Amino acid sequence: MNTQEEFSKSEKFWMNNKLYQLWRFIVLNIKIYTVAVQSKWK
Amino acid sequence: MAKIVVIGAGFAGHTTALYLGSKLGRQHEVTVISNRDVFGYVPSWVWVGVGHMKPEKTIFKLKPIYDRKHIKFVHAAAKEIHPDAGDQYVLGEEVGTGKEVRLDYDYLVIAPGPLLNFAGTPGLGPEGGFTHSICSLPHAVKTRDAYLALCERMKKGEKVKIVIGTGHPAATCQGAAFEYIVNVHKDLVKKGLRDKADILWLSNEPAVGDFGVNGVQIKRNGHVMRSDEFIRSVFNDHGIRYQVQTGVTKVEEGKIHWQNYEGEEGTTDFDFSMLIPQFKGQPFKYIGRDGSDISSKLVNPAGFVLVDGKYGLPYPDLAQTPEAWPAHYNNPTYPNVFAAGIGFAPPGPISKPFTNKNNLLIAPAPPRTGMVSGVIGRVVAMNIADLIETGKMTHSERMTEMVAACIASMGDNLWDGNAVTIVMRPVVPDRKKYQNEYGRDLFVSHLEMGLSGAWMKFMLHYTFIWKFKGLFGWKLIPE
Repeated sequence: MNTQEEFSKSEKFWMNNKLYQLWRFIVLNIKIYTVAVQSKWK
Repeated sequence: MAKIVVIGAGFAGHTTALYLGSKLGRQHEVTVISNRDVFGYVPSWVWVGVGHMKPEKTIFKLKPIYDRKHIKFVHAAAKEIHPDAGDQYVLGEEVGTGKEVRLDYDYLVIAPGPLLNFAGTPGLGPEGGFTHSICSLPHAVKTRDAYLALCERMKKGEKVKIVIGTGHPAATCQGAAFEYIVNVHKDLVKKGLRDKADILWLSNEPAVGDFGVNGVQIKRNGHVMRSDEFIRSVFNDHGIRYQVQTGVTKVEEGKIHWQNYEGEEGTTDFDFSMLIPQFKGQPFKYIGRDGSDISSKLVNPAGFVLVDGKYGLPYPDLAQTPEAWPAHYNNPTYPNVFAAGIGFAPPGPISKPFTNKNNLLIAPAPPRTGMVSGVIGRVVAMNIADLIETGKMTHSERMTEMVAACIASMGDNLWDGNAVTIVMRPVVPDRKKYQNEYGRDLFVSHLEMGLSGAWMKFMLHYTFIWKFKGLFGWKLIPE
């Protein structure tokens, strides 16, 4: 039933790299806020 | 002076009440009737269920907030709705005293949250059944206690079977169950007990990562990546087995009975199980002026309120008709009756339904998550304000236009936690507007796993509790 799909070592590294994740945190916040706030004007 | 009554004080009802109080509270009468006197921040009950968050951190009292916002609060369970013109009122029963309460209204918002239909699956649920749930705070606490007791058994060397997923062929809220299964995995890893547990994801989804919304699709490095590939990777990485296309039909002590797409009947053994039940509408009585039952004018057979959607379209047509999804969320027969959150009747499923050879319909119901419920609550509140002030509704937002963000935490530690961040636009695919086979905006839709998601989840917990307390700047925080 299961496939062999798994995350690569490189993907896992970036998932836990604090500096890169801080960057992603900022990007994700901006992205989510921007799209969510558009709804306010509907 | 207009009288507005809101039934329920969850994500949808409470959001509606906050906006109504803010817009109309000083000049008009806004009343919330709820059988609970606290607001519960549902997304964090996942953490309560593994013992990582104290229950009291997820709730706060409603009355002090409503007093500040010029909203009347009635701590009572709504029982009857009398919507006929000239004599429109809600009858309820006061919690504690059992006294009858009558609330007259000009506008009514029905947002009571779901009825957890454990009875729909024999043996399901924590009250008289054999499985657990995180769908209410008392259930999450009970789940936590059972889970911690299971950990004690594992510490003594016992190997156990854990099954998490959906407990009915038409259940929804797979996202919450997914979050719970990965939190259990992470917690067991931390406790050094992971090798003692065989963990299985058992769900009615057509595919892993479907979440009842036909999956999530994103564009990455020039190619389209689907949530089924992504979530399969998560499960494989965590050593979690999975079985989808499966409807649970019955539960006995330590044994789950199911049927799958092929019509095969089987059983799965468990020592601990958390299965989400089917959701139904609250069983209010809808009574006409002559005392007759007028439920069919207001609700569908499952008890969800009929609103301005196009009902009865077969799935292939519905999937191509974004305008079939409601825009204003008011009832066509009684336009001053609105429904918000899980309370409104969706026109059909988002994921492709399947009926097996035994005539069992296995079809995840459309999820109405916190964000969706909040947005609908705001749209309803703004339209009621419009109707009172100008007589015309100016706000609308269909689920085929709505964006939804969901953070599925996988451990709550700020140093080594993890979470899957999911953003989708729209929640319900719109194949007319987005000319791809998924009907989604592949630029905005997003799927990502990492520590930043764990930070986001923490931030959202505190930000939203701030918002729901109506504190300074609450309107700036999107739903």
